[in-house]
Amino acid sequence: MTYLFNILQDGFFAAIAAIGFASISNPPRQAYKYCALIAAIGHATRYVLTHNAWGGMNLIGASFIASLAIGLLTVFFAPRAKCPAETFSFPALLPMIPGMYAYRTVEALLLCLTHQEEAAFNHYFYLLAYNGLTCMFIVLSMVVGATVPIFLFKNTSFKATR
Amino acid sequence: MTTTTKNNELNTPPAGAAEMPSPKEACIFLSDYASWLLGCGATCIRIEKNVRRMAGRWNMEPEMTILPSHIHITVWNRDRSHSYSNNVRLHHTGISFDINTRLSKLSWAVADGKTSFAEARREFEEIVRVRPANPWMVWLLASLANMSFCRLFGGDFAAMLIVLCGTLAGYKLKQVMLEDGRDVRFTFFCCAFFSSVIGAAGYVFHWGDTPEIALATSVLYLIPGIPYINSVSDLLDGHYICSFSRFMNAAVLTACLSAGLCGGLLLMNIQWL
Repeated sequence: MTYLFNILQDGFFAAIAAIGFASISNPPRQAYKYCALIAAIGHATRYVLTHNAWGGMNLIGASFIASLAIGLLTVFFAPRAKCPAETFSFPALLPMIPGMYAYRTVEALLLCLTHQEEAAFNHYFYLLAYNGLTCMFIVLSMVVGATVPIFLFKNTSFKATR
Repeated sequence: MTTTTKNNELNTPPAGAAEMPSPKEACIFLSDYASWLLGCGATCIRIEKNVRRMAGRWNMEPEMTILPSHIHITVWNRDRSHSYSNNVRLHHTGISFDINTRLSKLSWAVADGKTSFAEARREFEEIVRVRPANPWMVWLLASLANMSFCRLFGGDFAAMLIVLCGTLAGYKLKQVMLEDGRDVRFTFFCCAFFSSVIGAAGYVFHWGDTPEIALATSVLYLIPGIPYINSVSDLLDGHYICSFSRFMNAAVLTACLSAGLCGGLLLMNIQWL
């Protein structure tokens, strides 16, 4: 029961985040509900993949699968909302941005610059590289995952506004 | 009689000809259209498809080069006897999916023969006059979104409240600075700095159990996500120059927000260990 609540909570906050970030990019009014729905499904998918009884999946792989789901849903909903598929993909992806890894990268960079001793420097440099690379590959997998379906289903994606 | 016929021919053009623009008219319209589409954050593949779709309706063939801040279009008539070229700067309109959607719909209306050239030009003028969403609503929604973001990262109630305050302050500053015409990179630096200083409240006043999540999340509303996504889209479509340019623009903004975050961390003397 708690697990189900956590999934719903995850989807709910992802939906609010998607609506807010969508508003920054001035989407058409009818796009908001689709952004919220796609973000909720995408983020909940990643939550289930990383938190389950069979051992949590790696965050990079889970992000890729979740963003692939987001990409497919954007292509599916774009003709119904009569909006370009890209309108939904950015707000839906943003809640999955690895903010903590990005923050830890900046934090490690500062610690690197403020420690001259070799052992300490090497440790923080390791943290910088680990967090930076993880963050970079999560973002890359997300963006590629959401973009590939738009290219695979070009006919649907680019006729959505017809 | 001959004279009359000639006059009649001049006065009454063949059916449908009134709707067909000359290559010059088409080129000027299409270049303006493409520069607005590029400016509002459309991908290169969409710009190409939309322009080609409309030109096809007018029996013309467009050749275009999309550069990071310019668009060069040459429009040929079908028998390649006449052409016109135009080079325009992109319109810095800011990201707007509303304009993107309306312009895409316009291209289909033209392609399907529902809109004549004159009507398309009139509609285009109306579309580009569309005002962006209410800034107060965007300010509030973006702040709530960043607060939800904090929750998604595992932040507690105190962290969410701190992030909400930091984003309200930072996003308002961003709107004010951009309205004043300040440099966008400097704006990102200042907003990240202010938001991170407010985001450090959890550390300074020992509020809540997740101060690091509040601090980390406080600047995430500034991440330029659309340029990153468009960059990959252009890369997949083979528009490497545009892709690289969009990526570099986004990377510079990310570097500015990271510098602002560093400044905030140093000012507040955050001790991690």
